[in-house]
Amino acid sequence: MFRRDTTAEACFRLDVRTWLEANLPPALRNRTTRPLPDELMPWYHALSRKGWIAPHWSQKYGGMGATLNEQIIMTEELGRIGAPHLPVQGLNHIGPILMEFANEAQKARHLPPILAGTVIWAQGYSEPGAGSDLASLTTRAVLEGDHFVVNGQKIWTTWGHHSDWMFALVRTDPQAQPRQAGISFLLIDLHSPGIRIRPIKTIAGDDEFSEVFFDDVRVPAENLVGKLHDGWRIANALLGHERLATSNPQFSLMALERIKIMARASGIMADPAFQDRLAAISINVTALAALFSHAVELTNEQRSPGPESSIIKIFGSELLQDLNVLLVEAAGGLATVDRPIETEFGEVDVATPFLQARRVTIYGGSSEIQRNVVARRVLNLPN
Amino acid sequence: MELHLTSEQMLLRDSATKFVAAAGAKVARGFRDGVQSFAPSRLREAGELGWLGILVPESAGGLGLGLTELALVLEQAGRGLVCEPIGLAAISSAALAQGPNPHPMLEQAMSGTALVVPALQESGYGGNPFQPRARLTTQGGASRVTGKKLFVCADGAEGFLVSASSANGPVICYVARNAPGTTLSALQTVDGRKLSTLTLTDAPADIIPPNASSKNAVEALHNLALVALSAELLGVMEKAQETTFDYLRIRKQFGKLIGSFQALQHKSVDIYIRTEATRSLVFQIAANNTPYRIDPALAAAVKAKASDDALVVTQACIQLHGGIGFTDEHEIGLYLKRAMMLSSLHGNAAAQRREYVALAGLTE
Ligand SMILES: Cc1cc2nc3c(=O)[nH]c(=O)nc-3n(C[C@H](O)[C@H](O)[C@H](O)COP(=O)(O)OP(=O)(O)OC[C@H]3O[C@@H](n4cnc5c(N)ncnc54)[C@H](O)[C@@H]3O)c2cc1C
Repeated sequence: MFRRDTTAEACFRLDVRTWLEANLPPALRNRTTRPLPDELMPWYHALSRKGWIAPHWSQKYGGMGATLNEQIIMTEELGRIGAPHLPVQGLNHIGPILMEFANEAQKARHLPPILAGTVIWAQGYSEPGAGSDLASLTTRAVLEGDHFVVNGQKIWTTWGHHSDWMFALVRTDPQAQPRQAGISFLLIDLHSPGIRIRPIKTIAGDDEFSEVFFDDVRVPAENLVGKLHDGWRIANALLGHERLATSNPQFSLMALERIKIMARASGIMADPAFQDRLAAISINVTALAALFSHAVELTNEQRSPGPESSIIKIFGSELLQDLNVLLVEAAGGLATVDRPIETEFGEVDVATPFLQARRVTIYGGSSEIQRNVVARRVLNLPN
Repeated sequence: MELHLTSEQMLLRDSATKFVAAAGAKVARGFRDGVQSFAPSRLREAGELGWLGILVPESAGGLGLGLTELALVLEQAGRGLVCEPIGLAAISSAALAQGPNPHPMLEQAMSGTALVVPALQESGYGGNPFQPRARLTTQGGASRVTGKKLFVCADGAEGFLVSASSANGPVICYVARNAPGTTLSALQTVDGRKLSTLTLTDAPADIIPPNASSKNAVEALHNLALVALSAELLGVMEKAQETTFDYLRIRKQFGKLIGSFQALQHKSVDIYIRTEATRSLVFQIAANNTPYRIDPALAAAVKAKASDDALVVTQACIQLHGGIGFTDEHEIGLYLKRAMMLSSLHGNAAAQRREYVALAGLTE
């Protein structure tokens, strides 16, 4: 965004743009809810065949091994064309974690299907009684011979009912103090007997998440990642990746485009008061892009931004909400309409992205929890 | 977040930190309402360190460095509430050096023995900086300029880089302080220093030819000023918030350190996020633009953001201090005042946003 492409980068951008224009089905563009697997996964597979599904994975693991600038160019081009949200639990969450913490057999078994899009992953952290206070989780895993037996419940599991596997935090030592020391990181085949999954409808009207019940589910001991009782450390490393990935400015850039279309269509674009707010928010989108490339730079240098990734999560998620508030304002009375609005500049959905945006300050650690983390661990304020 | 710097850049930052260690709130306070707004010997010291020629090509005797290095020095200057106009002097030297033959004032400007400052602003609200109302006319090879420039940091200056419109479009010209047709009237500023109105009536002027990469010299110098001010604002907010977080770690109320109150922790994080966002923006723009051709939309964006954030941050810092923060005696107020100064110069946040709408093509 604030870079000028080198000649090679400009070529790459043109390649990406041309290929996306030719291959992303128009029906999948500018969607405000995630399409269902039947519609979405063929697009995942197409990206995978092209070799572009995992720009940030190293070539050693079958990824693209793209440079930082290439990753940012891809993000910008995906945003520009309005590409749909892919299921990212595999690509952005468990994938990088397996690379860091798993044994060779686990990597060999689980990484290729993520790239190919033949296995969909779910994240099993939250429980009815353990949200922000995740360390209080109670889903129990007891080692019996060469199997764990799992009992309990997970909730708010994104795409749980479409998923094949779950990476879960389970309690393996109920007596441990601190509580964090009794948690393990387990890979669970969701097609195993004893698992029941119920979709939950969201405020935006889609079945984006679900609850997952475990009733004497037998999980092979070889599916433990890392050491027994050492899952908390792994879970936290994972959250760093998640925060960074969900703060990708692509989503804000898409929202900004939506506002511009709506504002031209409604006529509010001519209002200097509106222009001022649009300028302010668009400058903040530029700032998010700067924060994001700064953090990606550090990550690429193997100097993880650590707890400071929380800053980007807060800034990016709250900005996305502000953008959607401005979208509603731009739409005026049309904001009441519960379906995409036809305008002379294109179709814009207003209510759905506005409602969808409410979740981004809740998942991946709420804004309040992130602020607690930054206050203590970055600013070193007292307890 | 930590910056991604080369070892040379780290050395430069370290030397700026050392320079600033001898500045700070106490020293800045000493210049309030004084005869002089800064110490000429310190300006020369900055010149000896090479900073005033930091952007000047090596062939013209400068360091030939880029915007990142300029920003690193000015960030420290902001932290130390440095009163010597290092940023203005450095960008003026860059402007004096930009033509095929450097202007004769360059050497003195770079060494800090003569202060040259930009005189670009014509209205409090920003006006249109790219189309100055000041007029430059040329007759028989001699140029003269007529116009009025506001908020010029003229204290101790030997000359000015004035923006004007000419038959060939916008130009930057050098006008000596003691040139005929030049009058100055000073205004006291909120932080106890002076800014002047410069009135020019047929004042003799030397046209400074633009750098080959620039669209024109006016745009180049204006955008450079915006980035320089933003870097300095960044330093101001950094130091103000650090001072404040230190206070939250020692002040007790209700038998507890006030920094343990969640309401104050969250407010602290909010200002920290603003500072971090401004820092990333300043340094990403610095890394991706060359001094004589900064993307004008990004220059407006960073000045808008830094101006807004510096005011929000320094005001919050006063609130987090309680009553002591409202006293003249406490240093935290000096940061608010410096933020008011720097954020207002060359177009405040609102003026920058207005420019940004057009520059970024937002309504198209
Ligand atoms: C769309 C969506 C998708 C999700 N997907 C997944 C998923 O795939 N897998 C998964 O495991 N989880 C998922 N989650 C769950 C998410 O991680 C939790 O919702 C989140 O951690 C908050 O927990 P909670 O819902 O129990 O809220 P609570 O923890 O009960 O929080 C309620 C309110 O209290 C605030 N609060 C709590 N504690 C504090 C405190 N100490 N200080 C200040 N304020 C506090 C919170 O910020 C919040 O505002 C998803 C959630 C959403 C909305």
